[in-house]
Amino acid sequence: MSWNSIFRPLLRALVVGIGLLASGRAWAASESPRATIVRAILTTDDTQKRDLIGSLVGQGDEAIREIFTAWREDDLFVYTAPDGTKIPVELTGTKNSAGAQTAVRVDNGESLQDATGHALPLAAAKLTAVGHDARLRLAMKNVVDLLDLGSPLLAKRLRAIQTIGAAQKADKIPVLEARGRVETEPKAKDALRAAIAVIELADPSDDVKLKGLAELRELHPASCYDLIKVARDKAETAAQPAVAKAATAALAAIDQHKAVVNFYGTLFRGLSAGSILLVVALGLAITFGLMGVINMAHGEMITVGAYATYITQHIFGEGMNFTIPFVRLAIHLPGMHLTGWGYQMFFVAAIPAGFLSAALVGVALERSVIRFLYRRPLDSLLATWGVSLILQQLFKLTFGSNNVDVATPVYLSSNWTIYDVTFDWNRVFVIGFAILIVLGVWLALTKTPLGLLIRCVMQNRTMAACMGVRTERVNMLTFGLGSGLAGLAGVFVSQLGTVGPSMGQEYIVDSFMTVVVGGVGSIFGTVVSALGIGLSDQSLQQILLNPVLGKILVLLAIILFLQWRPTGLFAAKSRSLD
Amino acid sequence: MRSSFSKLFTTGVLALGLGSGLARAADDTVKVGILHDLSGTMAISETSLRDILLFTFDEINAKGGVMGKKIVPVIEDPGSDWPTFAEKAKVLLEQEKVAVTFGCWTSVSRKSCLPVYEKDNGLLFYPVQYEGEEESQNVCYTAEAVNQQAIPAVDYFIAQGKKKFYLLGTDYVYPQTTNLVLLEYLRSKGVPLANIGGGFKKDETGKIISAGKYTPFGHKDYQQIVAEIKDFSASGDACVISTLNGDTNPPFFKEYAAAGLTADTCPVVSYSIAEDEFRSLPAKDLVGQVGCWTYFMSIDTDANKTFLANFQTWLSATKADGVVKEGRVVDSPMVLSYDGVYLWKACVEKAGTFDVDAVRKVWKAGVSFDGPGGKVTTQPNMHLTKTVYIGESKADGQFKILKSFPDVYGEPHLKGTFKAAN
Repeated sequence: MSWNSIFRPLLRALVVGIGLLASGRAWAASESPRATIVRAILTTDDTQKRDLIGSLVGQGDEAIREIFTAWREDDLFVYTAPDGTKIPVELTGTKNSAGAQTAVRVDNGESLQDATGHALPLAAAKLTAVGHDARLRLAMKNVVDLLDLGSPLLAKRLRAIQTIGAAQKADKIPVLEARGRVETEPKAKDALRAAIAVIELADPSDDVKLKGLAELRELHPASCYDLIKVARDKAETAAQPAVAKAATAALAAIDQHKAVVNFYGTLFRGLSAGSILLVVALGLAITFGLMGVINMAHGEMITVGAYATYITQHIFGEGMNFTIPFVRLAIHLPGMHLTGWGYQMFFVAAIPAGFLSAALVGVALERSVIRFLYRRPLDSLLATWGVSLILQQLFKLTFGSNNVDVATPVYLSSNWTIYDVTFDWNRVFVIGFAILIVLGVWLALTKTPLGLLIRCVMQNRTMAACMGVRTERVNMLTFGLGSGLAGLAGVFVSQLGTVGPSMGQEYIVDSFMTVVVGGVGSIFGTVVSALGIGLSDQSLQQILLNPVLGKILVLLAIILFLQWRPTGLFAAKSRSLD
Repeated sequence: MRSSFSKLFTTGVLALGLGSGLARAADDTVKVGILHDLSGTMAISETSLRDILLFTFDEINAKGGVMGKKIVPVIEDPGSDWPTFAEKAKVLLEQEKVAVTFGCWTSVSRKSCLPVYEKDNGLLFYPVQYEGEEESQNVCYTAEAVNQQAIPAVDYFIAQGKKKFYLLGTDYVYPQTTNLVLLEYLRSKGVPLANIGGGFKKDETGKIISAGKYTPFGHKDYQQIVAEIKDFSASGDACVISTLNGDTNPPFFKEYAAAGLTADTCPVVSYSIAEDEFRSLPAKDLVGQVGCWTYFMSIDTDANKTFLANFQTWLSATKADGVVKEGRVVDSPMVLSYDGVYLWKACVEKAGTFDVDAVRKVWKAGVSFDGPGGKVTTQPNMHLTKTVYIGESKADGQFKILKSFPDVYGEPHLKGTFKAAN
């Protein structure tokens, strides 16, 4: 106690001292924007006022915006202290019974205090507002417009540069050039050059225009496309062939750049669409492809995985309550009340949770229904379809018929932009994960003892049983593995689309399509067909500019392909469907 | 023997008839139909409307009913199957003989049961924003007409300095028609065709028959479209006008956010997202996106606060089947359903009868009701005059109201009324 009481004031004094030192140094280097504004308010010379405000152009201090807004809205006043010093203040907050409001000093942003150190509220009625006129307001607007130019956030800077460029006002060129000398980020540097060039397009002189166009041709910024087009049209009507030609060349450069970006973008989107198909169909490749069970409830295994993600998210957060219908089992899941990164990790935890829960449901389904139907594949179709309907209704009664919101963790919700091609993190993650699970499944099937058992049971159940393999158990585990993979898919699609009771239905057709085209029984075939369908779907969309037509063409191609090769791309020799 | 049997039969029938007649007279009730999907794809949206209607009926019954008669709801579920709407409407009108029906969500369902209402001279209250170009004498459109939702939002964007507009929607009658009207409106504001994104479809004569990009119901993959929007909005003065249907919004907005597009760079106004849809959307990806309705839950008036409190009290007390009690919100279609019931009550009481023709006559003469979203007044063209609000979405799934336009007259026929400026 005594230690604390002695050292705390000492420590505080030290901190304040260092703070004073630091601020003193800043003062010496250059006057703070706040101090400049105070001088501008207190001077009576209008020209000097404008010059002082004009000197703030290019500053990035957010306080400027607030003070100028207050100034324009007549919330700035000059308070004369008892000792005669004039202190500019901003009145904010609600008025008290005496009509007084909190007074915030313009010079340091802290509230005004009287001699005893108490806050001193002031009434606007007893003071005069700091005046302003149209020319002063214009000067302020110029500063505010350019405020973001000095922002520490790159995105904000880029937007400010673009806005200034798009306005095409020649008087802004010196400011942009000044910024270009201190800017270090290459992206912002290019944007500054492009903005200057675009402003030059509005210049009356042809030479300046040509200079701007040459610059734009070199930089090919997509953001300037519309303005260059306008310049070209103007040049054409004004019969300035040289300018028109240069503009056309600049446009062609942008178009070419766009074509390259689109090509790689489409490639990436095709890969990601293919990966989703692959993740979704891989489970089915095992239950249908290897085991020969026409599992219409495959989609619901995906839904189980998605809801597992939803529940995990709530366990990491505030917890949740729900009741399983029919058995009237009320479940209370306490929350871990995590925030920040701890909470963001829910998605990582959801991956095993999704796999295990779907695998458990799969095993239960196999034990209760499917094991009786291995010799009757068509009956398994009907039975699993029924199961799928029951499960959908169960989801509806448990979680409500509305879709639920699964949050996107921060590490999946941004993107990399390389050479103007956007790589969404969630898509990159799906591609990476698809590679991982395909590798995992391949290893499990070919390099483990269980994999060997699975393959031999799937080839010939009776013979395997004769050799002493416990086929019942292998069947159960295989179906569990297939369902678990579907659950994993559910975890991923929760990041890309809707999570609701009937979401599984949206994936079931795609899954069967992928497996059948790839060749029933061949995991490798599923990989090839998923990527093939994804890539051709995305490129057709890109070419036809129509999301539906592309899909129809892909389906048509698949129908024709299956006429030609009914067994799919890679026909596996399997007796399970004989 | 034979005669006595027939006598017995006749007496029996008479007694039955008399009995039911007596029962009707003694029964101080009036039957009101609810025709909303409680199963299938549309159940997500329409179950909430059933709930709010039951709440409103209970509220009115507790205060003595309509002209002293208690409302008895007759609920029919068409199961999101459009032709079934006509059959169920027939059941309501011809078997149950309901005095009025509150129902439908999608335009296609309304168009499906409309002939039945016109043939039997029934009355249908329709509460969901729609494309206009319709004015049936048997429908009371409490819904937002295009000029009460789509056009104010576009005006707002124009005032914000937006010059490029990307039209995106789900492929059915409401988005297609709305976008054609908006195309005419944008052209009348001097927006060149090159600045309207999403593509056009033209017939042989070169007339535009479809504007904007359309995806089917349940579409999942918005990668290509978002890439196109990113390209379109590169100049920094673009916005997206979305008539995407509920289910397709999560994949669209998740993709939109992941691609780095935000409300700052390219805002989206969504005509189909209200507070109720927000429950299944990633709200934090949507911060700052724009909505335009004639009601927002965040309206700061005593009337609205009382209404919300009453609804929550009813929710926790009700024993009605299948009513979700937790995390409930209220949105524009729900409030317009609520307003509709009260407007119908006012019309009936003014007319002094449940007769459809008499009720319609009072509606056309003009009746007002102070609802949670402000005053609504009936119009001769069967629509409503009401206040339009523009709001910006917040991380908690509510809207911050940015602007309101009081007393906007509902105008269903807009196609061809705007002349291109260039």
